[in-house]
Amino acid sequence: MLVSVKDSISSWFRIEGRGISGYAFIIHRLTGIVLTAYIFLHLAFLTSLTEGESAYTSLIEKTVNIRFLPFDILLIGVTIYHSLNGLRLVIAEFFVTRYHRELFVIFIIVGVVIWIFTSYLLYRFVVV
Amino acid sequence: MEEREVTFIVKRFYRNEWREDRYEFKAVRGMTVLDGLFHIRDNIDPSLSFRASCRMGICGSCGMVINGKAMLACSTQIFDLGTDVVRIEPLRNMEALKDLISDFDDFFEKHRRVKPYLIRKEEKSIEEGEYIQTPDELRKYRQYSLCIKCGLCYDACSITGSNKEYLGPAALASACRFIMDSRDQGEDERIPLVSDHTGCWRCHFMAECSEVCPKEVDPADAIQKLKRKALIYSLKRLFRR
Ligand code: SF4
Ligand code: SF4
Ligand code: FES
Repeated sequence: MLVSVKDSISSWFRIEGRGISGYAFIIHRLTGIVLTAYIFLHLAFLTSLTEGESAYTSLIEKTVNIRFLPFDILLIGVTIYHSLNGLRLVIAEFFVTRYHRELFVIFIIVGVVIWIFTSYLLYRFVVV
Repeated sequence: MEEREVTFIVKRFYRNEWREDRYEFKAVRGMTVLDGLFHIRDNIDPSLSFRASCRMGICGSCGMVINGKAMLACSTQIFDLGTDVVRIEPLRNMEALKDLISDFDDFFEKHRRVKPYLIRKEEKSIEEGEYIQTPDELRKYRQYSLCIKCGLCYDACSITGSNKEYLGPAALASACRFIMDSRDQGEDERIPLVSDHTGCWRCHFMAECSEVCPKEVDPADAIQKLKRKALIYSLKRLFRR
């Protein structure tokens, strides 16, 4: 039986009455959607290469600068969350199912540390 | 005895139409949401429909969504909700039949599909006696056998909401209950049933099913066990070929 897109989306993003794992799921879906959209954007960027190196370089110059830094930092955060939470799910599914909440807290702390560090590296790359 | 004026806002379904009705009444400490619904039906609006039977968290018929979360109305005290406005709606992810009554046909059909009974390759005769089980063997599945088929997990699971073919947490927990039973020999029949695209691999381990389960069955845990069983089963089959 098919479910309408509206019903699917509303059941994924229902916030009321959820616990920590429910929120983890909702953010996982959201970050997944953002990353899918980004992949298309990235491919569109690469396609500009077909119009010659100068088209690509001018696009890069427009986007690799301080104005886009907040978006890049956000994108790194989204990527780190999605990958670490995916890893947490695999570990919880196959090894330590009962401790999935504790794993979530650990992975969030590790993720924030990685996020701060990579954001700093990016800042240095773009600004310094 | 402590008394408080409370408002029940009930989302009702009748003849293909949804509407919300508000009921105000005095609740006393100890009154459950189900008591409140009976009070409304007996004193304010006799047309209000809901399911209930045991009134003590055993039969699984009074599942509904109370302030956004699936709960048993008979096991939820009004004063414990921390608000005087109680919003009630029928379980989601199922068709509504009337008011707070949801259609469980699909839920039970999926339950039947996982063969929720002991399968034996060869049966013992009555003279040979019962199938003996040690306490440790019982512990492996006992928790999963406590399910009262209330459907709260079915409401909480987003994957059930977006994929109507998915067997859902209760049916899969039930499959796990029999697969983990030392008396059962139905692995070859049941594992393929629960490990296809409608089964355990469809579960994204959101674990909300376990959050709402009133009997602490922990269906999310059962489903992850099924995944491991299914993986080992298919590896074994691969090498058997
Ligand atoms: S753990 Fe699986 S069955 Fe339970 S709510 Fe999540 S997706 Fe649904
Ligand atoms: S697993 Fe829990 S929530 Fe789901 S039907 Fe059984 S008792 Fe109800
Ligand atoms: S009335 Fe039986 S579980 Fe609530």
